[in-house]
Amino acid sequence: MGKSFLKNHPTMLVFLALLALFTLAITVFSEAYGSGLVSTSFVKTLGKTLCLCLVAIAMDVIWGYAGILSLGHFAFFGLGGYMIGMWLMYERTKEVVLRSLENQTIPPTETEISDAIATQIFGVVGSSDFPLIWSFAHSLTLQLILVVAVPGILALIFGWLAFRSRVTGVYLSILTQAMTLALALYLFQNDSGLRGNNGLSGLQNLPHVTAPQSEISMWFLWASAAALGFGYVFFTMMLSGKFGMVVKGIRDNEQRVRFLGYEVEHYKLFLFTVTAIVAAVAGALYYPQAGIINPAEIMPIASIYLAVWVAIGGRGRLYGAVIGAAFVSLLSTWFTGGQAPDIPLGFYTISWVDWWQVLLGVSFVLVTLYAPKGIGGLFDLLKRKEVQK
Amino acid sequence: MKRLFFACLAVLAWASVGHAEGPLQDILQEHRALIEKPSRKTISPAIDDIAASGLDQAQRMLQAWEAKNLWQRTEDGLFYIGTTSGDALTLIDVDTGEELPETDKSAADQLKPNAGVRRLISSALVQFQLSDPNETRRLEALESIARRPEESHLAPLQASIEGEENRAIRARKERLVKLLSIAFADTPQAQIEAIEGVSGDLNLEVRAALNPLLATTRKVSDVIPAGENVAHVMRLGEDISRDEAYAALVEAGYATKRLTPAAIKDILAANIVDGQVGGVPVADLDTPEARDEAYRALAAAGTVPPFVSAEEVDEKLRTHVIYDAYNEPNGDVTKAAQSALKAIDLNVGLNQAADLGLDALSLASIYFLAAIGLAITFGVMGVINMAHGEFIMMGAYTGYVVQQVIPNHTLSLVVALPLAFVITFAAGVAMERLVIRKLYHRPLETLLATFGISIALQQLAKNIFGTQARPLTAPGWLDGAWVLNDVVSISYIRIAIFVLALCFLFLFLFIMKKTRLGLETRAVTQNPRMASSMGINPDKVNMLTFGLGSGIAGIAGVAIGLFAKVTSELGNDYIVQSFMTVVVGGVGNIWGTLAGAAMIGTLQKGIEWLNPSNTLAAQTFMIIFIIIFIQFRPRGIVALKGRAAGD
Amino acid sequence: MSTLLEVSGVSVSFDGFKAINNLSFQIGKAELRAVIGPNGAGKTTFMDIITGKTKPDEGRVIWGDRSISLLGMSEAKIAQEGVCRKFQKPTVFEDQSVRDNLMMALKRGRSVWDVLKYRPGADNARLEQLADEIGLLSEFSRPSGELSHGQKQWLEIGMLLAQDPQLLLVDEPAAGMTPAEREHTTNLLVEAAKTRAVVVVEHDMEFIRRLNCKVTVLHEGSVLAEGSLDHVTSNQEVIDVYLGR
Repeated sequence: MGKSFLKNHPTMLVFLALLALFTLAITVFSEAYGSGLVSTSFVKTLGKTLCLCLVAIAMDVIWGYAGILSLGHFAFFGLGGYMIGMWLMYERTKEVVLRSLENQTIPPTETEISDAIATQIFGVVGSSDFPLIWSFAHSLTLQLILVVAVPGILALIFGWLAFRSRVTGVYLSILTQAMTLALALYLFQNDSGLRGNNGLSGLQNLPHVTAPQSEISMWFLWASAAALGFGYVFFTMMLSGKFGMVVKGIRDNEQRVRFLGYEVEHYKLFLFTVTAIVAAVAGALYYPQAGIINPAEIMPIASIYLAVWVAIGGRGRLYGAVIGAAFVSLLSTWFTGGQAPDIPLGFYTISWVDWWQVLLGVSFVLVTLYAPKGIGGLFDLLKRKEVQK
Repeated sequence: MKRLFFACLAVLAWASVGHAEGPLQDILQEHRALIEKPSRKTISPAIDDIAASGLDQAQRMLQAWEAKNLWQRTEDGLFYIGTTSGDALTLIDVDTGEELPETDKSAADQLKPNAGVRRLISSALVQFQLSDPNETRRLEALESIARRPEESHLAPLQASIEGEENRAIRARKERLVKLLSIAFADTPQAQIEAIEGVSGDLNLEVRAALNPLLATTRKVSDVIPAGENVAHVMRLGEDISRDEAYAALVEAGYATKRLTPAAIKDILAANIVDGQVGGVPVADLDTPEARDEAYRALAAAGTVPPFVSAEEVDEKLRTHVIYDAYNEPNGDVTKAAQSALKAIDLNVGLNQAADLGLDALSLASIYFLAAIGLAITFGVMGVINMAHGEFIMMGAYTGYVVQQVIPNHTLSLVVALPLAFVITFAAGVAMERLVIRKLYHRPLETLLATFGISIALQQLAKNIFGTQARPLTAPGWLDGAWVLNDVVSISYIRIAIFVLALCFLFLFLFIMKKTRLGLETRAVTQNPRMASSMGINPDKVNMLTFGLGSGIAGIAGVAIGLFAKVTSELGNDYIVQSFMTVVVGGVGNIWGTLAGAAMIGTLQKGIEWLNPSNTLAAQTFMIIFIIIFIQFRPRGIVALKGRAAGD
Repeated sequence: MSTLLEVSGVSVSFDGFKAINNLSFQIGKAELRAVIGPNGAGKTTFMDIITGKTKPDEGRVIWGDRSISLLGMSEAKIAQEGVCRKFQKPTVFEDQSVRDNLMMALKRGRSVWDVLKYRPGADNARLEQLADEIGLLSEFSRPSGELSHGQKQWLEIGMLLAQDPQLLLVDEPAAGMTPAEREHTTNLLVEAAKTRAVVVVEHDMEFIRRLNCKVTVLHEGSVLAEGSLDHVTSNQEVIDVYLGR
């Protein structure tokens, strides 16, 4: 990273500084390492929000920069969560099982242990065998590779099929939505090998770690902040040069880029896969903080919300995606969590738990109609005013 | 002459004395002990004699007995039919039907045969009922035979055919005779003849009659005994696993039981001496090999049952044969039954295919109904309407609300259909004017804005109607199904939806080809600038087209609501399929939508048929198939070619 | 003069309408050629076929010294072979600066990997020279969306030159230009044709006269006449087609 690179991207520096400051502040006020002003559950909410910001950046790159409105990136996010969840659940269950077998007079055999783990995990779907896809669940390294490989390969195959047949625009959106639905429906089945609609649970317990949740939640917050920072720098670097020009060119006039001699499909496929992998990494950090993942999480609606965040924050600028994701998801937590005060109208009381979605839907329509640049557009206004002064 | 005289004399004597017993009473008295303390195992001779007496009064008596209305008088042990009112008891003579003076309940004992005995009585009654003058009774008797066929029914059934005058009942009787002969005919030849007579018959009763003939029992032997009607010899590893086979040998007494790993573990745990089991340290017992070794050591010392090694298991399995044998000893009968069943299966398969076709057709018409509005807005105007599903939902809720106001289901449906159209038409027009008009030529933004509307509408419906499903009941004349035979049937509701879909197809064609709106719509679609220079107002045309598409979604909603649960998420269930229908079919062409709906409907039913337990998997595979399909026909089944298709 | 591109016996139809009917066409390595024809003669479709946008139903398109077939190659591959196209409507990337537009067009590696590791600034001198050639050096860092219509046309021609193509396909370059801009454009094209083949599709006879080159007349998807402008305009068939339409 040369000096000129840093100089040319002041927003990135500001962003990194703010992110560092934020992390430091939370650490100072946390229960584990500080004054305890910020509760552990709120630390988890913030950590999760950082992960959502990361997946929103990925979404912004594929949509805001490349013009591909993918309604599947939250599926990749969920797949990442599933992959890490398999290891967490396996290892944690193994720990519990070993402890319960400890008191037996005769030491257990390998088969007995693995049978006991399988029964523990798959009892809810009426099975006591490990499905084939759990073959690597015992190894953190292998499962971490899968976090990247499974969504990456899925994105590669799907993207290859979709892009080579020149599916673009709304068609592609609908096709990605169909892919997401297919994946979610598949995972809903009991014999999918991932516990059907029960999903994976107890992910907040790190195996072999005795530290309290207050500390673990801070570790994850740090990791999420670091991942967000890395992701931000990674995409900024990638998009700042000629590659970014080509990608924006594809968004604005795909045909023209093609006649310049660029294989548009390769670029799309590359971006689709890379952003899918980043989404998966974000998911792998998110779900250990959420504690549970189930197929409902990756229904198409979630991917559409992701697009909503990016649109509200402002497309085509990475900080816009971060602002949108943080703002809307935190607001959503606040409203649906029942913390927002109800508004009594005399004849009817507006309860935000019920009306938040309506508000979100309507405000989303308004943003699309009247503020296509989203919140990020405000910064442009400020900048222009400064120039006028 | 002489006998007649004596008979008359006897009658006179009986009439005058009034205490002499009738012929039925005689039979009853003969079996008095059995009748007093009846059990299912012993009572048969009594019932058989009563039934075989051929006396008319026997039927009345048996019915009374079955209904626990038979009483035995304490003073002389005679049996009477009794009716009680309070503590008073009226006894009726079993032979003459003559009422005796009212007495007290304590004068007689009520006979209460148990269920097993009652069942025997009722089957004895069948022969009387089969010739009962009342047709309903006869039919009831036939149904009871069909439900629980028994060997004893065959003869009376055959005998009753002769005098049967009602043709329908006679046919039914003949059919039952055939079915009974399959299982109970005297000779194998008769059985085989009966079996061949029903070959290919689709009726469930036929399959129910044939299947018991092919019932098998698993047997184990060192060599298959001669005369055994073998259905299938088990092959190790293919039909039966090693463990199952060995368990079968053990059960048949050909081998000693092999201890399960868990049992071995328990035994080992019980025999720990000085931290060792059979010379193996306890800490080392964490492999199956070590445990076997320790157990062998214990077994050699004689403290535990002998160890059965894997080699011994192999040896036993090699020297024994496990097979399924038919319970029916005659091989020709089972062979005939098998080929009859095979013919039936083939026939059933063909009919199932027809049934599947009907199912697919009705699913296709549902998708067509759901997608046609989308095809108009998406295909004709190039506008993606993510809130289309919510318009379907609005239609369904309109139907529900109308039904709350107008209780008559037929009338409410007649009102709901146009009302749903009007409401969703208005909603569509409002949406077009307020949102979509401002976003033309920005399809992705349209998609997102309409999605925002979809979220808001869904939550609004949830706030108004709650989360639980609301019923939208179909009128009575749509209940039930059109049954072709035991395999093929289709519910009237689905036929109605099919008809509705057809109506819309023709309506759409009519509007597009014959009306001013259709002409203007086509003009605007092809060249908006040219159209507007010719005095067509494209804004108005777009608004009406969008309204029309939305209105049709509303009507589809009413139709879908009739068989699906009306919830705020109703639209979600159809939106992706609707999009797929339009995309697969080809945009901008009603025939394409039709073809798309047909393909997706058939595909979904086909996959469900291959994997009936799992509709989720069916949908997954269908979507994957569609993604692959688009590789080969990116513009859909009915594709517009060339420059008109645009880029 | 050796042949660069040979199109022979090509036909294509859309829903039964024959847009191109048994068309044959040849052009040499350094040649300027004008293609004219009434609306619907198949001029644009002809370009679509050469650049790979439309696949013909039959016929051959043979390219270059190695005589390879362009059929079955993707648009990008054909562009990499050295066939460049300028569209009727000026299409530059309006959000990006003149410099960026030229940089994207500059003949360098086109693969994802090449582009990712490309160092901006490496070709600055060449880019400035190009901008100078098309008279846009003073607008070098401006977003191209802010340029005038004529400037956009030149930028697009500059982008074509930056690709250093062997064959330039130019669709109505003079549409909507002022007379001064036209002259500039004519000069650019004539200059370009000295080292490479240039095909110009144009309606404007005046413009073509100024190009002073061989003319091919298309009608109903096939070649009606070929030769100098004076030669073809005196052809009775051509006159009939133009007047009778």
